[in-house]
Amino acid sequence: MNRGKYIIVTNNPLVMEKHGSTRNVIYKNLSYEGVLREVRDRIHEGHSMLTHPLSGSVKPNETPYKSIMLSEERRGIDERSVMLIENAIHACGKFEFKSDRYKPEVYKDFQLIDCTLIESGMASADALY
Amino acid sequence: MRLELGHIYIKDIQFAAESKIEDGILYVSEEALRAVALEDEKIKSVSFDIAKPGESVRITPVKDVIEPRVKVEGRGGIFPGVIAKVDTVGDGKTYALKGMAVVTAGKIVGFQEGIIDMTGPGADYTPFSKTLNLVMVCEPVDDIKPHDYEAAVRFAGFRVATYIGELARDLTPDETKVYETCTIKEGLEKYPNLPRVAYVQMLQSQGLLHDTYVYGVDAKKIVPTIMSPTEVMDGAIVSGNCVSACDKNPTYVHLNNPVVEDMFEQHGKTINFVGHIITNENVYLADKQRSSDWTAKLCKMLDLDGAIVSQEGFGNPDTDLIMNCKKIEAEGVKTVIITDEYAGRDGKSQSLADADPSADAVVTGGNANQVVILPKLDKVIGTLDYVTKIAGASEETLREDGSLEVELQVLTGATNETGFNKLSAR
Repeated sequence: MNRGKYIIVTNNPLVMEKHGSTRNVIYKNLSYEGVLREVRDRIHEGHSMLTHPLSGSVKPNETPYKSIMLSEERRGIDERSVMLIENAIHACGKFEFKSDRYKPEVYKDFQLIDCTLIESGMASADALY
Repeated sequence: MRLELGHIYIKDIQFAAESKIEDGILYVSEEALRAVALEDEKIKSVSFDIAKPGESVRITPVKDVIEPRVKVEGRGGIFPGVIAKVDTVGDGKTYALKGMAVVTAGKIVGFQEGIIDMTGPGADYTPFSKTLNLVMVCEPVDDIKPHDYEAAVRFAGFRVATYIGELARDLTPDETKVYETCTIKEGLEKYPNLPRVAYVQMLQSQGLLHDTYVYGVDAKKIVPTIMSPTEVMDGAIVSGNCVSACDKNPTYVHLNNPVVEDMFEQHGKTINFVGHIITNENVYLADKQRSSDWTAKLCKMLDLDGAIVSQEGFGNPDTDLIMNCKKIEAEGVKTVIITDEYAGRDGKSQSLADADPSADAVVTGGNANQVVILPKLDKVIGTLDYVTKIAGASEETLREDGSLEVELQVLTGATNETGFNKLSAR
């Protein structure tokens, strides 16, 4: 386990805004599933996943936002990370797509929830220093 | 520990000038309730309403459901570390007001949970259509942050429930149940031939609207530990989560956990109910590793033969569930896991986001993706403004005739993973 040093892959502008200057945040304009696929690519490059890809009870395709923490360093391919991300991508198919059907003010709340989820992961990771 | 739980049956709730319980009727002064709710300056206003089984009433967005209780003998008070001072509870005498609940509702974020219908098809799916509900809708002061609002509503609900519970302090219960646990040594001596079984309860612990508190401590920050199963009956665990209302445990479920109830029922007959292990469901994978390692270690240290593991939520917790199951089984302890399913609207998709061959004894609380049509009801307590933005709903949810097309996800307690509701599958 790589202690402390991590990157966050996100499509959530609030995570970028709040933590982009102090953490290694990679912001991409992707869908929820797009973030999962981006993370899968990075896992295959040797990063291991540090937070669960299905964090939060607002389901894939309901919230458009997803932030996932990966190890900064690259080692061999982490099989557990591969399995978790593949299962998460599979799970996206189970939920009706409706994340483009909300009123604008709701998106800020989705951003906030995703941000608190990844912040709980950051608190755990930072405590390992 | 030995807890006497006195049941006081509430047959009706009425607003009155003075708060009291008489002949099974709860009379509550709205003014007194309001004063209790408004003790927190973050709450600007609060309205109270009563919803009864069978009425054409929809309550939404529901945050928590709480059963009023009062501790009449023994250490501590109800909701230790939250309302009462921190002290170990679970011993002595407690009274519970049966047949009623305090329900908190209000907008915290723009997408909302959950729904309680008091009549119609929705009522069949939520256990809280059968209780007399005193509903409180809290409005916050302007420009409040969602975290502060969530905490204010949560605490206001506990304060009001405690206020009502206190009204029962000098009453005589209609019925009393006794729950008694043994120490490790006593259990071994008393039940040498019964299998040693514990309850492993997983607690939702991920962030805003996804949290649980144990004696006031955020469950994200605990390591797995052992409790006496009577402690939850005095409010040692309270809810701070409601997103995907179908499979989250409102405080009412923690107080009346059916796994604890049923294991006590079998204690000394078919099993030796050794204890109640609690663990969490954090998003950080190293936390999952640590918590599942510890849970399995505790099962081993207790020399268990079996463990019943209940989950709370879907997705992220599926991983904790499978890690717990696999590691506990690897210690030679048999497991039965209780979960629910997200198997798609047609029920044909894989139900969980994780799996393992050791998970070969599974009880399900139903498929949360199942679609239900909820007809328009005469009265809404709370607001329908957000009903299109709850998990399992969308802008098309509210149909022209006023009915709602939703997944079971939106109904509070519909697929509860402690078996609090009636849904399952074979």
